[in-house]
Amino acid sequence: MKMSKRAVLLIACILIVSMLGVMFTGCGKKETPDKTTPSGDQGTTTEQPGKEDQEEFAFPLKEPVKFTMLYRDHPAYPYKEDWILWDEIKKRTNVELELTIVPMSDYEQKRNLLISTGEAPEIVPSTYPGQEVSFIPSGAIIPVSDYLHLMPNFSRQIEEWNLQEDIKTIKQKDGKFYVLPGLREVAVAEYSLAIRTDIFEKHNIPIPESWNDLYEALKKLKELYPNIYPFSDRWKGDALLNFASLSFGVQGGWGAGNGIYYYRDKDEFGFYPITDDYKEMLKYFNKLVKEGLMDPESFIQEDEIAVNQKFATGKSFVISTNTQEIISMRNKMKETLGEGNFKVDMLPPLEGPKGRVISGSRLDNGIVITKKALDNPNFEALMRFVDWLWYSEEGQILTRWGVEGVTYKRSGDKFELLPGVKAGYLGINVDDENAKDLRNDFGMGNGVFMFSLYNGHKHLMYSYMIEEAKNFVQKANELCTLLPPAPPVLMDEIEREEANVLSQSLMDYVKQMTLQFITGKADIDKEWDTFVQECKAKGADRLVQMTNEVYQKTKDILK
Amino acid sequence: MGSNIEIQTATAVATKAKVGRGKQLWKAIKKDWQLYTLLLLPLVHYLIFRYIPMYGIIIAFRRYQPGGPVYGSQWVGTRYFQMFLRDQGFWRAFRNNIILSVEYLVISFPFPIIFALLLNELKNLKFKKFVQTVSYLPHFISTVVVVGMIKEILSPSVGVVNMVLKNLIGKTIDFVSEPGWFRPIYIASGIWQHLGWNSIIYLAALSGINPELYEAARIDGANRFQQMKYVTIPGIMPTVMVLLILNIGSLMAVGFEKILLLYNPQTYETADVISTFLYRMGLTMNNYSYGAAVGLFESIISVILLTTANYLSRKFTDSSLW
Amino acid sequence: MGSTKRKNISVFDVINVIIMLFVVVVTLYPFLYLTALSMSSEKYVYEGSITFYPKGFTLGTYKVLLKDNYFWTSYRNTIIYTVLGTLISLTLTVLLAYPLSKKNLKGRGIFLGFILFTMFFGGGLIPTYLLVSRMLQMRNTIWAVIIPGAISTYNVLVTKTFFEGIPDELEEAAAIDGMNTYGILVKIVLPLSKPILATMSLFYAVGIWNNWFGPFIYLDDKKLFPVSLYLRNIIAGAQKAREVVGGDVEGFGDIEATIKSASMVVSALPIIMVYPFLQKYFVKGIMIGSLKG
Repeated sequence: MKMSKRAVLLIACILIVSMLGVMFTGCGKKETPDKTTPSGDQGTTTEQPGKEDQEEFAFPLKEPVKFTMLYRDHPAYPYKEDWILWDEIKKRTNVELELTIVPMSDYEQKRNLLISTGEAPEIVPSTYPGQEVSFIPSGAIIPVSDYLHLMPNFSRQIEEWNLQEDIKTIKQKDGKFYVLPGLREVAVAEYSLAIRTDIFEKHNIPIPESWNDLYEALKKLKELYPNIYPFSDRWKGDALLNFASLSFGVQGGWGAGNGIYYYRDKDEFGFYPITDDYKEMLKYFNKLVKEGLMDPESFIQEDEIAVNQKFATGKSFVISTNTQEIISMRNKMKETLGEGNFKVDMLPPLEGPKGRVISGSRLDNGIVITKKALDNPNFEALMRFVDWLWYSEEGQILTRWGVEGVTYKRSGDKFELLPGVKAGYLGINVDDENAKDLRNDFGMGNGVFMFSLYNGHKHLMYSYMIEEAKNFVQKANELCTLLPPAPPVLMDEIEREEANVLSQSLMDYVKQMTLQFITGKADIDKEWDTFVQECKAKGADRLVQMTNEVYQKTKDILK
Repeated sequence: MGSNIEIQTATAVATKAKVGRGKQLWKAIKKDWQLYTLLLLPLVHYLIFRYIPMYGIIIAFRRYQPGGPVYGSQWVGTRYFQMFLRDQGFWRAFRNNIILSVEYLVISFPFPIIFALLLNELKNLKFKKFVQTVSYLPHFISTVVVVGMIKEILSPSVGVVNMVLKNLIGKTIDFVSEPGWFRPIYIASGIWQHLGWNSIIYLAALSGINPELYEAARIDGANRFQQMKYVTIPGIMPTVMVLLILNIGSLMAVGFEKILLLYNPQTYETADVISTFLYRMGLTMNNYSYGAAVGLFESIISVILLTTANYLSRKFTDSSLW
Repeated sequence: MGSTKRKNISVFDVINVIIMLFVVVVTLYPFLYLTALSMSSEKYVYEGSITFYPKGFTLGTYKVLLKDNYFWTSYRNTIIYTVLGTLISLTLTVLLAYPLSKKNLKGRGIFLGFILFTMFFGGGLIPTYLLVSRMLQMRNTIWAVIIPGAISTYNVLVTKTFFEGIPDELEEAAAIDGMNTYGILVKIVLPLSKPILATMSLFYAVGIWNNWFGPFIYLDDKKLFPVSLYLRNIIAGAQKAREVVGGDVEGFGDIEATIKSASMVVSALPIIMVYPFLQKYFVKGIMIGSLKG
């Protein structure tokens, strides 16, 4: 019996060898129908004889050029190849973008895969600072800071808008940066609380200015409406903790990060979740939940329930929002409560123990350029093209408002859509059923090209806001102090790997306990010390020590 | 008689090993060469699409830099293994993974079988077909929606379940944020989702049973329960065993997407499994080497589980995978 | 006893029917709910007052969906991928499972080990991607969707188990009549295997129909996207992005619940309609008479 096993092994070997033969002939056959499909042969079509004179570089280029780009396809405005955006870009620059289309649902994953395998297109937008770092050691993406001389608009804005400090935060140990972030002329508080102003006014409840005012207001509301939770939040509380934490001198929610907080006065880093400041914030929200003022479901419920079934139907009066969401909430409430039966406003950031604070960071997500671009004979044109489309005023007007005389008309800083054009996402001309949509039908207002709503030239940003959002932004900037961005901690690959593993378990625990303290599942007075001890046992001290060591060692690099 | 032949073979083996080996091999090929040709194409497929990429396993022991060489840039030995073996977060995920999978397997496995058997006993063919067609519908509803509905139904403020509870016992339970409720919710909804779909395979096995056997049983005077016991169940037993073994082999795999959507930081202590742990890890790290190390660890455990299950099955029942 | 069987309705039968009705109600409900949601006007959806039937009946969302050219393209693609892919998958599975079901085939153990090994060990995403994209040049073609994942080891093992249950006498008789292995497989074994072939077709077809990951990584051109990708983007797109990005509003814009449910209904419909058709083989496949020949 044993003998036959050996024999079989032999057969297997023979088979495998013969298979290899079949494999190659087989593959050859399968390949033939593929030949017609594009597989990265771009660049061969473009030849640019003698285009060296940099001084006279101007769009449109004399010869047509193709650049490849990764495109994030948003389900709310699905990609269309007949958008006039593409024609306009072609017309004004003689550049044709060859897109790799990726559904937004998993954009990040495909981007990482493509860059990792070296199969990514040349231009890769929609990438957040921090997401690029893992591609730096291998050289898969280029240090864009080496090519700023090709990017006049970008460079000028950094200069004129005083963004040097912000840019410093994305620099790496070699003093270079690898992502081109979207730049904001003014800092903007994106998120804040929305309240049912009509209810507040009806009962003579003063509009809250601070977190304590909010507590008092909610208490009154609870007396008046004992059967509901006046405050029921969305986004699982992540937005709330994010903006609230700033005024408590900590971080939280979406911005929880790795638990490290920069203490400017001491010029060192600390682990914020174990500070008294953090405890104070938890106690505040725990008080809201304990007294029935805040819905404990705030931290788990789906947005649809929080917004559609609670806030929009008058079952709660306070909710987190942003300048965009408030428009869509109102639209919903017109359906549920009826026009004129409600009034919703966005509160400026509330005052906490550390005052009224908003994040002063003025960088958005950005663009990385893969090393493939360096092989493109038109590399210089590519960088200039990126600079033009994403950073120049002309480019930004095109991607926001479209084409003068076709989609909009302009008088001074005022942009107005032409008749027959609407912008549902901005709430302009929404009622015109037959109008074409600026975003869905023309291709403007696209997150891929705008970075964010708050991006770019101030006047353009404001032009894209309804009056109320404008007021909100201006008021917030008047009232609040800007928290400057923390200086970068220039870890190398191995240090970063260790810090990440450490902070992952640590922050899992912090998040878990944060919610348990707030919802009262854990008693904050009794269990706080255990929590602090546990954080330390999970490596909080090690993380702080490591961060400070690296920081002290490297902070002079960027000076 | 059988033992006689074996002894003969054994002696033959002992005396002229080499010659015999070659001859037997040749004989086997000559006899079954047509069968081997059938195997050729699928095995080539396995070779190309499963075996060639396997060189990627090496990055569990080498540092892989995204965008760099696929086989990694330098040897780091067991660095990534030590990394996760030292990590408390990993062990919690590991423990949760095992508990959740075992509970899920033990509780959910019999349901489709029972369902298939009951379905088979229905007399009205139209009704049978209707039940069958309806039963697999939940399988097609996307996880996002399933989880959305779970949360809505169980919500303390708007959910049906809590409205009933409020009337009955006067208080509500916050199911989704209670660590203790995570597993029951996961398992119950899993049964609901896949009951009908998983029974299809048993129905196929049932319809493969020779009707003459039933005829014979009836002639022998067996009633329906006896028929079920002596004909139906033995008839589907091989399928049941194969599926059980396969399920044990893939014990480590749990519904990643469903957990991701269903859990929240408050329930991490019971809900976080290896895949979700890696997912959160991956968001910050983009660390393929770490993932490969954990993956290898999982694979080895799965192989051990599968081999054991197969061995036990072969020992105690007649059916096995190999 | 056998002759009175039909008229005899026992307690067991009654209980059985009740259980089955319970299963029907519980499983049917979410589908009913989704359909109701997709046909209701937004006002009622916001209120969360949809339970069993549509309120403020409208087919508006379906109109929006069906107006989208890419939806139709993706639908057509999915049908092509599913039909072609199922055929290929089924063929390869049978080719592999049949020889492996022969217990006296030399080397069976090794071949089994060869395929079982791949259930647990794989090279990971990047090497596989490079193989398909660079070595085989299949990226952005239909083949990348169909070929790499064509065989499911799980399905092979189940099919093999079924083949093992077919009595050897039939095949032996055919062999004595001078039929070769191919003939036996096609003329004797396959006709007896309709239940498993139908089941496997269904498994593969549904797998390909719902598969989004393969198309997602290998396809770059929206004209080649299957409906699963389209659907996934609609259902999870905006939500997922926000999770990853942490609340940045650069990707603003949400998809209404009504559109989500409508697209789910439309994309699940065909496979649900195909099922009863396949199901007749489960009934017909009972091998009446075939053993007597």
